[in-house]
Amino acid sequence: MNVTYNWLKEFVDFSLSPDELADLLTMLGLEVESMVKLGDGMDDVVVARVEEKRPHPNADKLSLCRVNNGVEVLEVVCGAQNFSQGDTVALAQIGAVLPGDFKIKKSKIRGEESCGMLCSEKELGMADESAGIMVLPAAIAPLGTPVFKALGIKDTLFEIGLTPNRSDCLSVVGIARDIAAKLGLKVTLPQLTVVTGSEAVESVIGVTIESPELCPRYAARYISGCSIAPSPDWMVKRLNAIGIRSINNVVDVTNLVMMELGQPLHAFDCDRLSGKRIVVRTANEGEQFTTLDNQLRGLVATDLVICDAERPVALAGVMGGLNSEIESTTSSILLESAFFKPATIRKTAKRLGLHTESSHRFERGIDIDNVSFALDRAATLILELAGGVMANGSVDVYPGKSERPAISFRPKKANELIGINLTVDDIIDILTRLECKVSCGSDGEYSVIPPYYRLDIEREIDLIEEIARLNGYDKIPSTMPISRVVSDLPSRHQEIEKMMRDLLVNNGMNEIINFSFTAPEAVGKMLLRDDDPRCTAIKLANPLVDEHSVMRTTLLPGLLDTVAKNMKFRSLDLKLFEIRRIYLPVANEDMPNEPLCVVGALTGSRDGEGWSRPDDSVDFYDAKGIIETVLNALDVGGVSWVSENLDPYFHPGKSSWVYSGRECIGSVGELHPTVQKNFDIEKPVFCFELDFEKLVKLSRTKKTITAPSRFPDSTRDIAMLISDEVPAERIIECIRLEKSKEIEHVQIFDVYRGKGVPEGFKSIAVRIRYRSFERTLAEEEINALHNKIVSNLTEKLHVTIR
Amino acid sequence: MREQLEQLKSSALQSIEKASSVEQLQEIRISLLGRKGELTAIMKGLGSLTAEERPVVGQVVNKVRDEIEVALRTAIESAQEKVISARLQSERIDISLPGRSQLRGTKHPISLVIEEISSIFAGLGFAVAEGPEIEHDWYNFEALNFPPEHPARDMQDTFFVENNLLLRTHTSPVQIRTMLKQKPPVRIIAPGTVYRCDSDATHSPMFHQIEGLMVDTGVTFGDLKGILTIFTNQLFGQKTGVRLRPSYFPFTEPSAEVDIACVICSGKGCRVCKNTGWLEILGAGMVDPEVYRHVQYDAENISGFAFGMGIERVAMLKYGISDMRLLFENDVRFLRQF
Repeated sequence: MNVTYNWLKEFVDFSLSPDELADLLTMLGLEVESMVKLGDGMDDVVVARVEEKRPHPNADKLSLCRVNNGVEVLEVVCGAQNFSQGDTVALAQIGAVLPGDFKIKKSKIRGEESCGMLCSEKELGMADESAGIMVLPAAIAPLGTPVFKALGIKDTLFEIGLTPNRSDCLSVVGIARDIAAKLGLKVTLPQLTVVTGSEAVESVIGVTIESPELCPRYAARYISGCSIAPSPDWMVKRLNAIGIRSINNVVDVTNLVMMELGQPLHAFDCDRLSGKRIVVRTANEGEQFTTLDNQLRGLVATDLVICDAERPVALAGVMGGLNSEIESTTSSILLESAFFKPATIRKTAKRLGLHTESSHRFERGIDIDNVSFALDRAATLILELAGGVMANGSVDVYPGKSERPAISFRPKKANELIGINLTVDDIIDILTRLECKVSCGSDGEYSVIPPYYRLDIEREIDLIEEIARLNGYDKIPSTMPISRVVSDLPSRHQEIEKMMRDLLVNNGMNEIINFSFTAPEAVGKMLLRDDDPRCTAIKLANPLVDEHSVMRTTLLPGLLDTVAKNMKFRSLDLKLFEIRRIYLPVANEDMPNEPLCVVGALTGSRDGEGWSRPDDSVDFYDAKGIIETVLNALDVGGVSWVSENLDPYFHPGKSSWVYSGRECIGSVGELHPTVQKNFDIEKPVFCFELDFEKLVKLSRTKKTITAPSRFPDSTRDIAMLISDEVPAERIIECIRLEKSKEIEHVQIFDVYRGKGVPEGFKSIAVRIRYRSFERTLAEEEINALHNKIVSNLTEKLHVTIR
Repeated sequence: MREQLEQLKSSALQSIEKASSVEQLQEIRISLLGRKGELTAIMKGLGSLTAEERPVVGQVVNKVRDEIEVALRTAIESAQEKVISARLQSERIDISLPGRSQLRGTKHPISLVIEEISSIFAGLGFAVAEGPEIEHDWYNFEALNFPPEHPARDMQDTFFVENNLLLRTHTSPVQIRTMLKQKPPVRIIAPGTVYRCDSDATHSPMFHQIEGLMVDTGVTFGDLKGILTIFTNQLFGQKTGVRLRPSYFPFTEPSAEVDIACVICSGKGCRVCKNTGWLEILGAGMVDPEVYRHVQYDAENISGFAFGMGIERVAMLKYGISDMRLLFENDVRFLRQF
């Protein structure tokens, strides 16, 4: 809502500067989003008089003027012809900055010095076009007065961001009322003197409401013999100031009164209304109608239309019709002022995408009690500006007339909820200033009837809010609640989420956050088959763009896109992870499942390139190592690695499922070269996925800690040749067949293929650390155990000890 | 004998002085004091002396031996020191070369802010609650007092999915889910992802909020002010000014926008605060009785407040990020700075 300082001041006589007023409005909940000082910074454009005008010696179309600015007489060269010696003009002095950042400097024009510029309205930003310079009335103001001040254009425009509940403030008077209530002042409404002719209005026009529940009030007046003309200057300026374009004297009046009083109005050319009748009814399904903007609109049965005796002439509360609009030849007018049901107007405006100043107000609700006053105000102004005769009386069909119900209100409750301690008198005073009717009931209860225009006040809590608001939020003391202690530990789920994030970060990974919606093709790039459940995604009904049109069923495509994007910027060493939800439809349930997932991707050099290390690229084991660290920290036991029936986006020879017992908890591996290509990634990427929800279930909450042995260890190495077919894991398992507590640690420390190792074999070196919790182990004991292990390896795995 | 000893001593001390390495000094020690050393030989010869001579000469011999040993020890120590200092002189590395660091992992700024805010509220006794992102209209709107066809729904452009479901437009439905599950006292915060059909330099179709809810007996608007003042001071610094001004949300009444004194210009007025000196950071208010009705709480006997804030906004202010889109581009050159 746009409103100016001067306009507000016409209705309430406050003594605040524009800045103070802006503060007051904001603290009333009418947030001033911007403030434009009209005519500001143009004080160097002043009222001046042309003392002498003579031709320029070197140019036919220029003249030399001696211009008096009240202090001195200046030489100014001017190109305009529309003025004469003695005229009062607008002089932009040296230093003035005109719209468009046009700086006025001392200059020489065709050899003659010019100390300023005589301005046109266009040059001052007051009009789109002008024929010559602006000639001002002789006595407008003393010479030297800033022109904008002299013209009364100096004003402040406030752009107010209104919340949807404050429909009453969609008018200058509405905002003035709030200012008055806050400052304890009175609002002065425009004084009306309605002058009418003798002809009774009923004898000319008629109004029938066929849908009284959608149109509880419709009032109209009839004016004949008026003439449509451009609006006077003051009207144009006032509308321009708040960003409304002037059309003609009658339409401008309806707009002005709407802005002033908040009542949208419509003027029909009455001669074009069949039967001079108004019928308010719902539209017929499929009915067509051309609105003022020359658009043919298809209507539905929920739309409310204003009709004449035959056809629709306006889309109620939204826009008038082309068939009855005011034209330059119009001489008789039917002026409408009505109340339409907000939800109906909203539905129509929304369906047609037609949001007008009028629909904006009707949707939010207008003051039904103000319908006839606004009608009379507008009619009076039309008579003043367009002439003509008004029929006697007004038509006012008001089937929805009802009293506003009283609200039961307890001042004590207000104090308690807000945390203040106002006296009952203070509280009643605030309500009275808001033009509520307050009457005393019993038991500290009052009966309060709010004014019609405050549609947002319906309940006691609404009145309590008004007390807090008018008294001032700044006057409410800050306190700490006195409350019962609630003991609520973070859930296991939340705890593990944080742990997971910390673990991955500690492994040198960077967390990313991608949008939850993705492109439908994303799963196809992963080579997933159509029957894969991840290919069934939840679709958005109204996506902004196609690539954000389905809810993701896997985090991997987003992660891989991120890898590709970073590589484009030559960030080639990446360790990225994401812990976010995926969205999976659930059969026979309307609510989908939203499990948390964890994914990671590694590529490039392990720790970043550097002078001290050779090219050291990440591989499968880096990704696997991270999973091992995570599972170890979460104490997830029974972990095994299975490389059968892998997901199609993995390299079949370099990937694995991760199991805990029989539960599949994730997968890890090198990205399939085709997928890598699909995502436009130039180097191998190693990915992992973990099912977070399963990890939460499998993670053991209680860790058992063993005190370390205090006895010395003994370490033995075994180097062996073993068939390439046998996974290294088998060796560890075989060593562990000896259930001795003295085997403290088994570690594979070397794997080698090549020179000295026969084809089809690998050389593996294992280090076993023996240690007892009870004593220092004797050499013979260890030898016996170690020999047993060696013979197990030879017998069961057919290894050759080297 | 005595002269012989004096001569031995002075020649020994001379050669000790001349010796340049630990090894040479060790050789001198052996030649004098070793099993076949000169002085050892003399000491062995003491037995041939008379009983009168023996103690006198013995004394002299001991003295000479002591002097030689002290001289040797001192010389060896200083020779060893020289060796160390020579080694230290010769060993030099270029300490200006970069260290062998690992890539540093980082949390996303959104996670960092959520963790920080959650821990501030944990200290005030607020537990963390969660709820679905794909939500029923009822939880997202109706139970929060947004009736169908109400203009307040225009405040939140909504993404719809089938089955009368939508992507939640705020974290407030978690309030409803929490209150339906438990009786007062309630003290929760609910961080989460939310969606609105809006995308430009200052709006992202997906963003994050933290919701807060406290319901108990006798909770006042003043308490809301108190809690939010403590919170903003902990998040932005102890002296950060806080201002509440009236606003409107369908699910709170009275409602407030909460501004903090601009953290960029300290309230003097700058581009970020549009010269107002204030930054809007939170929406808040007392829970509307209509909401209590939907969750079967008795509005006459309990009261409470709710608040909500955008995480992106907080992150941008805390880290001086000017373009929200940076938060979702996931460029590691950006992410590695946190």
